[in-house]
Amino acid sequence: MLLLPLLTLLALPFCQALISKDQAREELTKLAAANNGVVNVDEHTFELLTLPDREWSSTIVFTAMDPRRKCGPCKGFQPAYDSVAKAWTKVAQEHRNQHFFGYANFEDAMTVFQKVGIQSAPLVYLYPATEGPYKAPSGRTTPLVYDFSGGFDAEPLAQYLSRHTPVPIPYKPPVDWMKYATIGATLLIAVTALRVISPLLKSRWVWAIGTVLTILTMTGGFMFVRIREMPYTGNDGQWIAAGYQNQFGQETQVVGLLYGLLSASFLMLTMVAPYQTSPRRQQWQVWLWSAVICIIFSVLVSLFRVKNRGYPFKLLI
Amino acid sequence: MATKAYTLPTDIPTETVTNIRSLLRIVSLALISAAAISSRLFAVVNFESIIHEFDPWFNYRATRLLAAKGFYAFWNWFDPTAWYPLGRVVGGTIYPGLMATSGVIYNVLHALNLPVDIRNICVLLAPGFSALTAWSTYMFTKELKDESAGLLAAAFIGIVPGYISRSVAGSYDNEAIAIFLLMFTFFCWIKALKLGSAFFGTLAALFYFYMVAAWGGYAFITNMIPLHALTLILMGRFSSRLYVAYSSWYAIGTLASMQVPFVGFQPVRTSEHMAALGVFGLLQIIAFSELVRSHVSSKQFQTLLYASVIGMGVLGFSGIVGLTYKGWIAPWTGRFYSLWDTGYAKKYIPIIASVSEHQPTAWPSFFMDLHILIFLFPAGVVMCFSKLRDEHIFVILYSVVASYFAGVMVRLMLTLTPVVCVSAAVALSSLLDTYIDPTEPVLEEGESAESEATPQDPTKKVKKTTPPSNSGSFGEYLARFTGNTDKPRGIFGVSNRLIVLFNTFGMLVFFVIHCTWVTSNAYSSPSVVLASTGADGNAHIIDDFREAYYWLRQNTPEDTVVMSWWDYGYQIAGMANRTTLVDNNTWNNTHIATVGKAMSSPEEVAYPILRKHDVDYVLIIFGGLIGYSGDDINKFLWMVRIAQGVWPDEIQEPNYFTKTGEYRVDDRASETMKNSLMYKMSYYRFNELFGGQQAVDRVRGQQMPKEGPVLDYIEEAFTSENWIVRIYQVRKEDLLGRDLKVANAFEQGRKRKKTKPPVRRRALA
Repeated sequence: MLLLPLLTLLALPFCQALISKDQAREELTKLAAANNGVVNVDEHTFELLTLPDREWSSTIVFTAMDPRRKCGPCKGFQPAYDSVAKAWTKVAQEHRNQHFFGYANFEDAMTVFQKVGIQSAPLVYLYPATEGPYKAPSGRTTPLVYDFSGGFDAEPLAQYLSRHTPVPIPYKPPVDWMKYATIGATLLIAVTALRVISPLLKSRWVWAIGTVLTILTMTGGFMFVRIREMPYTGNDGQWIAAGYQNQFGQETQVVGLLYGLLSASFLMLTMVAPYQTSPRRQQWQVWLWSAVICIIFSVLVSLFRVKNRGYPFKLLI
Repeated sequence: MATKAYTLPTDIPTETVTNIRSLLRIVSLALISAAAISSRLFAVVNFESIIHEFDPWFNYRATRLLAAKGFYAFWNWFDPTAWYPLGRVVGGTIYPGLMATSGVIYNVLHALNLPVDIRNICVLLAPGFSALTAWSTYMFTKELKDESAGLLAAAFIGIVPGYISRSVAGSYDNEAIAIFLLMFTFFCWIKALKLGSAFFGTLAALFYFYMVAAWGGYAFITNMIPLHALTLILMGRFSSRLYVAYSSWYAIGTLASMQVPFVGFQPVRTSEHMAALGVFGLLQIIAFSELVRSHVSSKQFQTLLYASVIGMGVLGFSGIVGLTYKGWIAPWTGRFYSLWDTGYAKKYIPIIASVSEHQPTAWPSFFMDLHILIFLFPAGVVMCFSKLRDEHIFVILYSVVASYFAGVMVRLMLTLTPVVCVSAAVALSSLLDTYIDPTEPVLEEGESAESEATPQDPTKKVKKTTPPSNSGSFGEYLARFTGNTDKPRGIFGVSNRLIVLFNTFGMLVFFVIHCTWVTSNAYSSPSVVLASTGADGNAHIIDDFREAYYWLRQNTPEDTVVMSWWDYGYQIAGMANRTTLVDNNTWNNTHIATVGKAMSSPEEVAYPILRKHDVDYVLIIFGGLIGYSGDDINKFLWMVRIAQGVWPDEIQEPNYFTKTGEYRVDDRASETMKNSLMYKMSYYRFNELFGGQQAVDRVRGQQMPKEGPVLDYIEEAFTSENWIVRIYQVRKEDLLGRDLKVANAFEQGRKRKKTKPPVRRRALA
């Protein structure tokens, strides 16, 4: 007699869990549909998204969009995340409900941040399904962290998430009409202006200037700055980066300018001074350019000494 | 009669002058060669006659086999001890030029009854070839300007650090001979183009073949020469000379290059080679149309001809595109593509991105490697523009392309160096010509109508294609601008000459001092043997690597499998003669990732991997004790990254950082980091060394936790004097079938904790 209530009592948590699981899915589906596929995370929705016995997986971005937080990458990344979430809304109903996208802003979900222990942003956590047909094959239930080493773009994110979603995310990068338009316009202008600029194109000195400028930028370490995405100057206004294999954007300009000045002085001595008709003026030029070479070269060497502390030689300064 | 700034003896017959000049040239070249060779011997003098770095150890090993067993054995060599258990077909996966060169030298010397050791040939090959490089640079520059510029260029390339860095004694790498081949091929090409000579074209093709057999950088030549030819066509300088030179070079060079097994059919199947093929086709079309045009006068026919020529060009181009699309021609990929799309390597081929010589170049490297040449270089390029013969266009193109490549990758500084030397020599020798010439200009008010008949170079066709106003030299331009005369006059007085010459001389002296300092301090370290200077100024040699490798050689069975990160694969094979899992020939990403996974996983996950690969010993490099920064903990993130590329679910880079995103090894290090095999092996028993005091890692500058890591599945086998190399032996399965962790706990008398999860995995027997 007593057994039956006891059994019902025992079964109660299961029923509750079962109900709340379905309820949660329903609620999440509604929330996602209302907001372009993204569920805004607060304490309650976080519980729903990461239910311990969830049959769905969920992706949550932890970010700090408030301007006071000054999180540049967060702002840069958010459109990419939104577009991936939006792409997910296009898949069929039965798959769409197996994966949810959450958006946790620090200002709105501080307790969640504390609970998960997030100390930096942006972060993308992927909570795999713990039960059901879409359970991770490895049996993993703890969240995976997305690695931003591939950049803050949408495409690598979509690729990464597609490995864990029931069907691949149908993300397609938007066609960059602006880029095509610019290329087309440039071409058009170039073709129409060909008649006007053709003397320029045929002039060897235009090419010479272009060549020399390219060489100076390259030997000034421009590609280093570009590939390593070095800032123009340091945070504290320093324009010389510490270390031998390191440099800021401004150094490229300064070093290129120094190289250019030295080169120009040599050219002046070789190609201009001999054309002078007046001995006085020629002497003046020779002295000037020789002095420029001495001084600028000393500056260059002392700049190099700053970069390479062990360098033992110096000139005037 | 013009006055002279200083008097020269006039009673010497011209014949004597010519003879003395050529004698001086020979003597100077000999001295330059001597300087080039001797400045590369710092490494031998400071240390000993030893092979350097990593790759040279493999080259040395292959050469030893070639010398001992002959060419066919070398050609068919299958090396079962590399890439265990896969093995490596060496003959088909290397550029054999370097080894073949040493083998020939070895055999010639032995035929002359000079019993030179093969190691000494390998060690001294690079300095020897640097003398040849100096000579070929002299020949090349002579074609551009004259002998004096050639001598300057030879002197520059002889001692410039940018080239010495890859060619000191002991640096037995492909680059050692490749730069000579590069310069000589370019010289032959210029000569062929100048003379329209099929002989020099063939010679260029033969040296191109030698280059293909010697270095993967041959693709630089494969694209430079077509680029030059194409530019000449676009400038309206097509000539039968160009046609003969290019066709002979391309036809013979391509066929010859396909004989190298490693290259095979690549010249017709990959995009890197398509430019050469395309330009070859274009030249045939143009030559054909020129031929027809010379025979037909009808204007309509010519229009038709032009249309058909353009149509054929478009057809050919779309054919190449179509073949690429269909997959017959491999699209741009791999190392070469990463030069254009600089983010490509980091995304898709982390192994390439991880190599330190593939990093972009910051400006101090340029200055360190080239010193005064780096700013003479643009001046020389401008002077090339003022002459603008065909060969000058080559130098201009070369300088732009090479300076871009050198900026993208540190190691490509090597290809930039020759052109910098050449054009700096052109600039400096023009300066010296102007200021040494004793002729004083004539002071006159009214410019008499002097003869306009300046001697025209026959090859200088630019006058026809450009308006006359553009054909002047830079000096004339500026002179008109500043209101001076438009003809060079010369330099007045001795003082002007002296100041410039003194200035130049001072800079050259500084250059020599700089080069000597850089060579002896920065580029002569073998990196197998390290040197440090003690507080009292005494040099202290750190020989941990060889100590450890010889330990392996003496104390382990011959078929022992040693696992290490790939950097040390060649050295282990070369010095310890043991089987390795991965080595510096990074062809199999998955295999390397497997090693990376084993290193970055916890012990119990790594153990089955180690056992499956029959690993007996694990070798790691640890610099925390003496502050050697190139150790494995600093390379560790690359192992993680490469492993993550293959097992993204199991290995994740962020887990190895602290919560705040720092890379730490002390108390605050993340759990994943602390549990990883690499961390444990590096810091195992490190605390005991400090006798109860706080242990400090000198590379990272961090204080280590009080409790050191515990190892269950492997045990320490050997640690070298300065702890740089640590070798661990992988334990065999427990005889009672227990998990090794449990067995260890039992032996130490600890009770098995019931709460701990039981054995997770049994290793595969």
